[in-house]
Amino acid sequence: MKLTDQGEFLIKSESDIVMARKVVREAATALGFGITDVTRIVTAASEMTRNIYQYAGSGSMHWRTVSKGSVPGLELTFEDHGPGIPDLNKAMEPGFSTGKGLGMGLPGAKRLMDEMTIQSEPGKGTTVGLRKWLKK
Amino acid sequence: MPSENISVIKVRDLLLVTVPPDPDDETVSALQEKVLEAMARYECRGLVLDISTVQTLDSFFARTVAETVQMVGLMGGRTVLSGMRASVAVTATQLGLTLGNALTALDMDRAFELLKPVRGQRQTV
Repeated sequence: MKLTDQGEFLIKSESDIVMARKVVREAATALGFGITDVTRIVTAASEMTRNIYQYAGSGSMHWRTVSKGSVPGLELTFEDHGPGIPDLNKAMEPGFSTGKGLGMGLPGAKRLMDEMTIQSEPGKGTTVGLRKWLKK
Repeated sequence: MPSENISVIKVRDLLLVTVPPDPDDETVSALQEKVLEAMARYECRGLVLDISTVQTLDSFFARTVAETVQMVGLMGGRTVLSGMRASVAVTATQLGLTLGNALTALDMDRAFELLKPVRGQRQTV
């Protein structure tokens, strides 16, 4: 896989959660991640995609290959124009949810990935960035 | 459509469900409904949930399975989750998921072994 590989996927319906998982699984497998890391990345993507569908209704997932020195990695960016997250610290607490979820999505995704960034503005939307590095 | 992806098979007095590899939320919800329906219809003692082909177990799936285990328990049945892949076990644990009071087994043989009635002993849920 070339380092410039990337793609965009729109999330509009519940069935797009499964499709997003397929897209991420293919990208992570092509980059050379092992089965456990692929499962971690796909599961994190599933949580983020479901958050978008449940809280914002629609949004997008952008994936691209990145590198840190000679170490390649996969970056996933989830963007929506939904209600935003009013209290980011609370949202990162395991078990906290303003919806009907388990409150596992954000803190869980952080544990499954190597890096996570969140930008959120109430009323404007949320952008979550996730990265996983391919360890040799 | 989603409920057609799930078949609940009655084997003697147990139910057997094989979960498809990458089920969507609707399919997971349909699974719960069909299991409870079959529990009532066939008066079953327990449920074996074969998840050996499941590649992704996220929080929605885990919550629905944990709920199903509890509901089956209330109906007098025990549930065994069978065949979880190593990669799924690692991921589910790191994500912080628990699967309620489900019994677990490495494969189907051991799952049925777990649900075997013990002679002269009452089954507890």
